[in-house]
Amino acid sequence: MRMLLAVALLLALLPFGLPPYAMTLLTEALIMGLFAMSLDLMVGYARLISFGHAAAYGLGAYTCGNILLHTDIPLPFAVLLAGLFSGIVAIGVAWVCTQATGVSFSMLTLAFAQLLYAVAFKWTPVTGASDGLAGIPRSPGPFGVTWFATKSGFYYLTMACLIGGFLFARALVRSPFGAVLRGIRENEAKTLSLGYNTRLYKIAVVAASYMLGGLAGALYAPFAGFANTELLFWLLSGQVLIMVIVGGTGTLVGPILGAVFFLFVQQQLSTYTDSWALFFGVIFIGFVLFAPEGILGLARRWTRAH
Amino acid sequence: MDVSAFLVTQSLNALSQAALLFFLGCGLTLIFGIMRIVNFAHGAFFMLGAYVGWSAVGLTGSFWAALLFAPILVGGFGAAFEMGLLRRLYGRDGHAFLMVTFGLTLIMGEAIRLIWGVNALQVEIPKLLSGIVFILDEPFPIYRLFLAGAGIVVAIGIWQFLERTRLGLLIRATSQNAEMVHALGTDVRLVRSAVFGIGCGLAGIGGVLAAPMVTASLGMAPNAVIDTFVIVIIGGMGSFLGSMIGAVLVAFVQVFGSYFFPDFAMSFMYLIMATILVFRPGGLLGKEA
Repeated sequence: MRMLLAVALLLALLPFGLPPYAMTLLTEALIMGLFAMSLDLMVGYARLISFGHAAAYGLGAYTCGNILLHTDIPLPFAVLLAGLFSGIVAIGVAWVCTQATGVSFSMLTLAFAQLLYAVAFKWTPVTGASDGLAGIPRSPGPFGVTWFATKSGFYYLTMACLIGGFLFARALVRSPFGAVLRGIRENEAKTLSLGYNTRLYKIAVVAASYMLGGLAGALYAPFAGFANTELLFWLLSGQVLIMVIVGGTGTLVGPILGAVFFLFVQQQLSTYTDSWALFFGVIFIGFVLFAPEGILGLARRWTRAH
Repeated sequence: MDVSAFLVTQSLNALSQAALLFFLGCGLTLIFGIMRIVNFAHGAFFMLGAYVGWSAVGLTGSFWAALLFAPILVGGFGAAFEMGLLRRLYGRDGHAFLMVTFGLTLIMGEAIRLIWGVNALQVEIPKLLSGIVFILDEPFPIYRLFLAGAGIVVAIGIWQFLERTRLGLLIRATSQNAEMVHALGTDVRLVRSAVFGIGCGLAGIGGVLAAPMVTASLGMAPNAVIDTFVIVIIGGMGSFLGSMIGAVLVAFVQVFGSYFFPDFAMSFMYLIMATILVFRPGGLLGKEA
């Protein structure tokens, strides 16, 4: 708890010492962190390897974009609504996907995300097709407050969502519900025979994961001012899975670090070379070979050794 | 255009498409059957095939030489990758393979961009196969006919290879019980390297054959890998016959779907995949997952 307060305080103080350009990057990193953490709920706690988590992100982004473009609902509420919507859609998705297990589950989630991607390409009135939704405003309010539309205001909104999301996810995995999830992860047949309807638990965790992932996407739309089909593309699903794994699965904090690391390295490399993807690939492979427990695991090993 | 001519030419069109998908799908499914890993880099190997093929045509002046050398090179690279890196990971969970092959996809894409540049490269259709024939009074490119034929020939070839040769027998045995094969005195590690190489080589053949039709470009890998996943999942991971059925099904849906419902063609493929997985979670011919 003390650690959490310290981090929150540090994050809250950062805008006072950083140039605007770094603030933008940091905001994006926090959004990605929330996105990666949401996937960790599935991957790290129930071993549901989703290969289509971009679906949650894109759903949130398009929903939030439409709310902000077509209604007067204030920014913070629009973001929350979009996250909620993504979570509700997830119940249907999960009902279908949990018919299968293992690799088939991964591929079903991928199929669903690609389906959304294909739909987004054609449903022009809602998604703007290949142009995407442009000019998404940061609507004022509530009570006419325009602070959230400013750079630092939006940063604090993102920070609040990340910390709120983290507390929610941590409460979830520490509850009896979380214990059943870990049971599913370690041995689903045994958990089932103990009398738990494991499928319902899986559907619930997918919904929670999509809700937080949708929240991240919902933040991204007004952050960038646009939403396009890239946000539903499988490449994003692959990237976020890698953030989770590089950060350390089943830790919640690890994937956030993974996302920050991912964006930071991408940023640094792209200033030096056009071929950043090349070095990126090498770094990932290095992680798998030499530090499979991820950044957080590495840090723990290091602190234990010293 | 009368109905029968339309159906025949479009079906042939779909078959030529199916052939390309099959080259990708059967390699992926062979690799999965033996190693239980999903090779994310399969599309990148396909792309490498197209680029190496372009260079080979430039060096030798012959499309047929390219068709021979490029797959060998691509397959060799695949086998070397398996020996150098993947081999260290057996016994770890599926995460590891996914991440390593995803990393390899990034590396290969970037390396290809550095070596061959960003422009799409056109490979000439060999003289023998350029031009058109008339099928029921409808013009049809000979090259597509050749593709469909090549798909059928290779399919029969692989099937006979798996059924009749000693290596084919070892591959089938290893996919059923690797430990037992190892205990009986065969180095399973070599079988795995060979299969990975063969699978990548098949993707390379697909790349060379696709190059004259779609040009060699950097967008090839992502498009290919996702289609390949779809057909292998529809057919059942690890099932050779399944990958064939999946390829034909997807190709027909793509060709006829984009003719009748251009707006929904892309969605159809994923809807079919989702429907099949709901009723048969392991795919059409796969073991129950």
